[in-house]
Amino acid sequence: MRLTIEASLRRIVDLLRDEVGPEVQTPFLAQSVRMAGGLLTICANWVDDAAAIRVEENAAIRKVLAEASVSLDGDLSARLRAASLSSDPGLRISQLDAENHRLRMLLVEAHGVAERGEGASPQVLDAAIWRLLEEIELKRAQREQAHPYGQ
Amino acid sequence: MSDLAMSDLAMSGFAARIAAYLTHRMPKAEGLAVDELARIYGGSSQETYRLRARWREHGEAVEKRLILRRDAPAGLVVAERDLEFNVYRALAGQGVPIPEAHFLELDPVWLDRPFFIMDLCTGRPGDPFASPDPYDGHDEAIARQFWTHLGTLAAIDHRAVGLAGLRNGEAEGGFWSRELGRWEGILNEGEAVIEPIVRGAIRWLRGNPPPEPAKPAVVHGDYRSGNFLFTPDGRLSAILDWEMCHIGDPLEDAAWAIDPFWPITRHLPLEDGLSAWEAASGLSADREALDWWRLFAAVKACAIWTTAEAAVQSGESHEMIVALSGIRAGHFHRKQILALLRERGAIA
Repeated sequence: MRLTIEASLRRIVDLLRDEVGPEVQTPFLAQSVRMAGGLLTICANWVDDAAAIRVEENAAIRKVLAEASVSLDGDLSARLRAASLSSDPGLRISQLDAENHRLRMLLVEAHGVAERGEGASPQVLDAAIWRLLEEIELKRAQREQAHPYGQ
Repeated sequence: MSDLAMSDLAMSGFAARIAAYLTHRMPKAEGLAVDELARIYGGSSQETYRLRARWREHGEAVEKRLILRRDAPAGLVVAERDLEFNVYRALAGQGVPIPEAHFLELDPVWLDRPFFIMDLCTGRPGDPFASPDPYDGHDEAIARQFWTHLGTLAAIDHRAVGLAGLRNGEAEGGFWSRELGRWEGILNEGEAVIEPIVRGAIRWLRGNPPPEPAKPAVVHGDYRSGNFLFTPDGRLSAILDWEMCHIGDPLEDAAWAIDPFWPITRHLPLEDGLSAWEAASGLSADREALDWWRLFAAVKACAIWTTAEAAVQSGESHEMIVALSGIRAGHFHRKQILALLRERGAIA
C-alpha cells in the first residue's frame, strides 16, 4: 500500500487535533492550531481530484466557447473559436489554473456581449453560460462542512 | 520568529517595549509596567493584544486595561494605518459605543510596525460561527441595539465630526459606483483565476444602480455579528474593527449585517431591525435599494476573500483564519450571488 498525499495530510490533521492541540496553552495559538487542521482537511479533500476537476472544467468551458463563437461575430468570435480548439498546456495544477483563467476571461467577455443582446440567440448563450457557471461552482464546492468556520 | 509563534520570553520583551513606549507618551507616569499581555484571536486585519498597564502618578497607583492594535504584515484588507484611530477619536461622544483611543504611533522604531492603543472595553464578542446562542440568551435585545447604533451612526454628519478625510468624504453622491469600482479593482489586482459569477454580479449591479441615499453617512465597512462586544446583562458595549470605515450609503452596512455568512437576522427579523434603524437615523430604509446592496455585499465579500488568498499565497500572512477565509468563504458567497441573481431574474 502506498501512502498518498491525501492520507498524509489527514494523519497530520489527526496529530494536530489529538496530540499538539491539547498541549498548546495559549488561546490564540490553540485556535490557530484548530484552524490549521481545518485548512489541511480542505487540502486533503482537494488533492486527489485537483487535476481532474480542472481538466474537465476547461473542457466544459471550451465547449461553451465553441457555441458562443457561432453565436457571436467578428474578432471575438475568432478568438473564442481558437480557444475552443485549444488544449491544456500540461497537467501541473499551475498550468491548468493559468489555462483556466485564460478560458474564463474569454467566457466573461462572451457573457457580457450576450447580456447586451448582441449576436444570434444571445438569451440562449446567456443561459448556457450561467448553467455552466453553476455546474462549475457545484463541482468545486468543498464537501466536508456547510459553513466555512463551522465546528 | 513570527508573531504567531511568539514565545513567553518574546512576549515578555514585547511587554517591556510597550512599557517603554507608554512611559515615553506619559512622562508623569512613574514606574510604569506592563503585564498580562496576550494576543487576542480574531483580528484578521490587524494584530490585537490585551494588556494591563500599572504606574504611579501624583503619588496614586493607577491601573488600566488596554488594547494594542498593530498593523499586520498583511491581512484581509489593506487598512490605512491611522484610519481606525481617527474614527475612534471623531466618533467619541456621538452616541455610538466605542472604546476611548489614546495613542497612535506610526514610527516603527517602537514596535516594528504602526500601532495604536485604546481602552479595553467591558464585554466579550459573540462568535456567530460557533454557537446558535452567541449572546447568552440576550440575542433579541442585542440585535435591537445593533440596529439602533447603526441608525445613530447613519444620522451623524461626517463633516461636522471631522471625517471628511475618509474615502468618499467630499463626495455628494455616486457612492454605489465608487465602492463597486473600488472592489472590482481589488478583484482585478488579486484574482489569480477570475470568477465569472462575481463578474456577472458586477455587470448586473452596474446595469441596475440603486437610488442615491438621503444623505452621505459614516459607513463602518464591516458592521456585523462578531465585531462588537456585549456584557452579561445584555448591553452592546462596544463596536469594534473600523478599519474599513468610509463615507457612503448607510444601507451598505445594513446589507453587510444581514449577509447570510453572519446574519444578525438570526436574532431579530429584518423588518424589526430596519424599524429600529429608521427610528434612530430619522431616515427611511429603501427596501429595493437594500436589495442592491445585498448583492454588492456578496461581491465585496468575494473581493475580501481574494485579498486573503493572495496574502497567504505570497507569504505576507501566516494567519490561519486568513488562509481559511481565502480558501473556503469565496464559494459561500458565489453561491449567494447565484441565489440573489436568480431572485432578480438575471438567471433564467
